[in-house]
Amino acid sequence: MTNQEVKVSSGRFWRVLIYTTLIVFAAFYLLPLFVMVITSFKELDELRQGNMLSLPIHWTTAAWQKAWGSACVGLTCEGINGYFWNSIKMVVPSVIISTLLGAINGYVLTKWRFKGDRWIFALMLFGCFIPFQIVLIPMSQVLGTLGLSGTTTGLVLVHVTYGIGFATLFFRNYYAAFPTELVKAAMIDGASFFGIFWRILLPSSGPIIVVTVIWQFTNIWNDFLFGASFAAGESAPMTVALNNLVNSSTGVKEYNVDMAAAMIAALPTLLVYVVAGRYFVRGLMAGSVKG
Amino acid sequence: MASLEIRDVCKSYGNVEVLKHINIAIDDGDFLVLVGPSGCGKSTLLSMIAGLDEITSGELLIDKQVVNDLHPSQRDIAMVFQSYALYPNMSVEKNIAFGLEMRGMPKPERDKRVKDVSQMLQIEPLLKRKPAQLSGGQRQRVAMGRALVREPKIFLFDEPLSNLDAKLRVDMRTEIKKLHQRLGATIVYVTHDQIEAMTLATRIAIMKAGVLQQLGTPQEVYDTPNNIFVASFMGSPSMNLIPATLAAHQNGIAARVSRSQGNDLLLPIPHPERYQSWVDKPIILGIRPEAITDTGSAEPNNPWVFQADCHVDVTEPTGADVYVLTSLGKKEMVSRMRSNCGAVAGQSTAFAFNMAKAVLFDPHTENRI
Repeated sequence: MTNQEVKVSSGRFWRVLIYTTLIVFAAFYLLPLFVMVITSFKELDELRQGNMLSLPIHWTTAAWQKAWGSACVGLTCEGINGYFWNSIKMVVPSVIISTLLGAINGYVLTKWRFKGDRWIFALMLFGCFIPFQIVLIPMSQVLGTLGLSGTTTGLVLVHVTYGIGFATLFFRNYYAAFPTELVKAAMIDGASFFGIFWRILLPSSGPIIVVTVIWQFTNIWNDFLFGASFAAGESAPMTVALNNLVNSSTGVKEYNVDMAAAMIAALPTLLVYVVAGRYFVRGLMAGSVKG
Repeated sequence: MASLEIRDVCKSYGNVEVLKHINIAIDDGDFLVLVGPSGCGKSTLLSMIAGLDEITSGELLIDKQVVNDLHPSQRDIAMVFQSYALYPNMSVEKNIAFGLEMRGMPKPERDKRVKDVSQMLQIEPLLKRKPAQLSGGQRQRVAMGRALVREPKIFLFDEPLSNLDAKLRVDMRTEIKKLHQRLGATIVYVTHDQIEAMTLATRIAIMKAGVLQQLGTPQEVYDTPNNIFVASFMGSPSMNLIPATLAAHQNGIAARVSRSQGNDLLLPIPHPERYQSWVDKPIILGIRPEAITDTGSAEPNNPWVFQADCHVDVTEPTGADVYVLTSLGKKEMVSRMRSNCGAVAGQSTAFAFNMAKAVLFDPHTENRI
């Protein structure tokens, strides 16, 4: 073998090794998901026989239907669909409001600088890192005073408050790289404060909007602590209902229903990633490359 | 179209004074070029005219109306930015029409104006494109179109050509000049390029470190610079500044300049009555390269042309001319001769000094005497 051939073949060796390792780890990482999916499509009898990793003998969506429509959560046996809609009703307004507020904050903090703007931004950043547990009691008092305790609206308020910090961080960094001359040009052209925002900045913010929406959506959808603390019972979000469903089994533990419910709980975030994941990475990179 | 007056305008950021008592007034239809080295405050002044920067003290008048407190959109000005600042999310057409739309002009009229302007600038085929799909020169045109379509009182240009390559820059320069002649618009134009300033302006304002050095027509600024800074900033190659001493000579006054070889050179100065008090004192003699020629191309009937032999250090042919370098008063001196003048480095040749074009500076204050 010539020198070059040695190099090529040893390169191939490493490549094979690297890909093998990656595939093994990917499979290992995906294993729980795989088990969840196949379990949710099995019949209860089949589960008792063990063989956790084998594919279902009889594929059935019975567990999914039960989880959605008739499984018992606490004392009511109407499935988790009501809670699923609770979550949607909580997530959609929270994400929209916090993203919009973050965008406006970022716009003001970069293009309408004022004295002390850095301090305001620093405080907002600080807000991102306050542990949830610390605010539980003051927050419940605030919600009580506002008459929002135990409601989805209250949860929306909590998540918007917590979301503003990160949303502002994202948009501020993105807009810092946005040419200020464009804002000046629009000012001379006669566009107003919000005119510039709606017509010039927001239409150029695609990537960072996607990043913020994904970030907020997953965080708010997956939140358990606030949901359990502020919206127990009928208005509980999906995550809390899932916990209750798993805990309120009577007699035989229906793993297939649990798994189906868990899958339903995870699907929306999965969907958001699949649809917008491409932009997520691109958006995360955009600021850093330009900056 | 309107006149513009800048009255005793100052600008400071905290304790830092970036503009000091600027006074400039131009008439309707003037093309004012603000020129100076970077950091001289010319762009800040332009921003203040646009209303994008606040005026610390002084007054700014457009069309004899004080506009200090008017929002940029109410000053009826249009600006072309160095980076063009085209809205990336809008097509060329929308970019140009945006200002009109914001002012509530009905769509049919907007479309007509956009059409007229794009015809004038020859950008009609580009109207549906986004700025990212345009070349630098095309973006430049669109940026100008966006300003033109508004038909403002005053156009502001902030180094609009500095992002273009050399050839395109010269073409666009001519085009801006043509545009000015056709529209008769009032224009304020910022540049650091003195050639751009000379070719475009009807009025040049030369600035340095926040202070206005001179305001005048290009010819005034070129022929009678107020001080050494203006003299050396305008013109390329720049004016020769030769240390000399004034001496009484025959019935008048002459500048005595030391030569590298041979005795001192005595160059008589026109209007000796102006310089009586400077006799026997050191001065700086300013004379442009093109005022020092070979004897053949000197003006034959000009009584102020004097010939002298000097040692040639270097010759730099440019094709059309040749720059002949010698040293006078221990400084390098550039003269501009015909390419066939026959000057050879290392030998002596005859130089013809047109002293009618000479200017004298005080070596201490650096101002013109």
